[in-house]
Amino acid sequence: MSDQRVRGALLAVQVPDELEAQRRAWRVVSAAHAGREPLPRRSRGLRPLLALAVLAAVVAAALSPPGRAVGDWIRDRVASEEDAEPALVRLPAPGMLLVTAERGPWLVRRDGSKRFLGDYDGASFSPQGRFVVATAGRRVVALEPDGDPRWALARPEPVADARWAPSPGFRVAYREGGTLRVVGGDGTGDRLLAGNVAPVPPAWLPRDGRTVLAYAREDGVARVVDVESGEELLRTPPARQIRELFWTPDGFLAVLTARELRVHGRNGRLLRLSRAAQGNELLGAVAFPGGRVVYAEFDPEAGATKLVRASCFAPDPCPLIGPAAVFRGAGHLQDLSLSPDGRWLLTGWPEADQLLFLRLPGIQKVVAVDDVRREFDPGRPARDSFPRLAGWCCS
Amino acid sequence: MAGDGRDERAWVRGAQAGSASDLEALFRAHWPRAYRAAYLVVHDAAGAEDVAQEAFLAAVRALDRFDARRPFGPWLHRIVVNRAIDWARARALRREVGAEEAVAAAPAPAGADVAARPSEDVLGALASLTPDHRAVIVLRYLLEYSPGEISRILELPRGTVNSRLRRGLDSLQGLVDEEEAE
Repeated sequence: MSDQRVRGALLAVQVPDELEAQRRAWRVVSAAHAGREPLPRRSRGLRPLLALAVLAAVVAAALSPPGRAVGDWIRDRVASEEDAEPALVRLPAPGMLLVTAERGPWLVRRDGSKRFLGDYDGASFSPQGRFVVATAGRRVVALEPDGDPRWALARPEPVADARWAPSPGFRVAYREGGTLRVVGGDGTGDRLLAGNVAPVPPAWLPRDGRTVLAYAREDGVARVVDVESGEELLRTPPARQIRELFWTPDGFLAVLTARELRVHGRNGRLLRLSRAAQGNELLGAVAFPGGRVVYAEFDPEAGATKLVRASCFAPDPCPLIGPAAVFRGAGHLQDLSLSPDGRWLLTGWPEADQLLFLRLPGIQKVVAVDDVRREFDPGRPARDSFPRLAGWCCS
Repeated sequence: MAGDGRDERAWVRGAQAGSASDLEALFRAHWPRAYRAAYLVVHDAAGAEDVAQEAFLAAVRALDRFDARRPFGPWLHRIVVNRAIDWARARALRREVGAEEAVAAAPAPAGADVAARPSEDVLGALASLTPDHRAVIVLRYLLEYSPGEISRILELPRGTVNSRLRRGLDSLQGLVDEEEAE
């Protein structure tokens, strides 16, 4: 068979709606072109120097009001038709989103404008979202929202999982190797808090003015301490493969492992236990105001993840409603985040290269955002690791 | 049909300087093949439109960084084909049973059988391949890149490209044999 015959066959395929598609696309593309900063014609001798200037102009154009106006236009067109967004052009609820991609973290504002914060491995918000604390190799760095470093701390061993204490934010906890350390919110007074720590992010009790911290030890015990006094407030029985520690809004410690979600009372006693079905794996969880927890359970046989609303965890008075699956998607759903107003649940969907915004209560609506890898790693093939959601903060 | 190299370089430089007419010339020259290439990979008109449109938007966003001495087509086709593969993969994951049933149950339009047959046959043969295989066929036979160029565009080993081409040709072979027998 000749190449020409194959080519002829491909050219003979009737492509539907070709001219109309061309007209529609031209309107969008010409609008985007009109919204950019034109590049002045230049002499060849200045090319290397101008390359840097052009890069700056591209960034400036992307952040300029005309650029945003074009983004809005595209968003309105798509959203009105199918509630799916070709890109993350707007958050559906107030606040800022922190997304950690392979190159580093990005701060996304409500209007969809994004700021790359720099070459860091991980990041999280300060309590009011006025700062971001990031880690890179052996450094802990506090950043302004525009990426300017406020202070930095260097350590001998690699650091990770920096978390800022609740308002007024006097402390930052982070892991260094197998130890847990605490530093002041102004970067001073760094000290060791505990050794033999598991590679799990520590979790501050979300109470203003308190500095109560939960962390996981290598032996599977979760421990809660008052950072100022050093007093141990709670210790749980050991659990295998702790993945996540978090606090319910009513102040109970939740421990997520690959198989179980456990909620402990103030004396460490187990209050509630949710267990994944045989062979399934728990990927993440999030606590809602009122005591409910939603967790993501992956079923490898079905190749799908369901979001399950767990039984109410508050000890009393608590409605006797059992667990229920509220959403299901093929592949993995990871990194559950609740919007600051509690009306949207956000999750990442690596296999579809999407973020899913789920309208609560009861998943009334799903807004999908496409092309997430390229969104946060522009210019690179969309086959790299999927960006992680590091927080949705502060109305 | 794309313009010659000199035209195209002038259009790129004009578009970089803000000329809407030069951008339009570039768009008109490249849209038909970009859209067709996307359609042959994703097999969905709305999806192909999204893919091709997003590729042009990405090209506009990156226009200032583009070296106008280089041909525009390969740069655009790289974006189109990679996005089409991603789209088709994501679609496969999201496919809903209800939608498939609706398509299967939909009656063919009256009088469309004969005219639509070549399209359906080719699409049917392509549909038996994965999106990655379809992309290789489209790059080789529609967009006329060499296997070496395809391996660079898709960031694949040359041997993988060749094996995908062989597999794709096997699928299309039966189709062309049938036509020759008729």
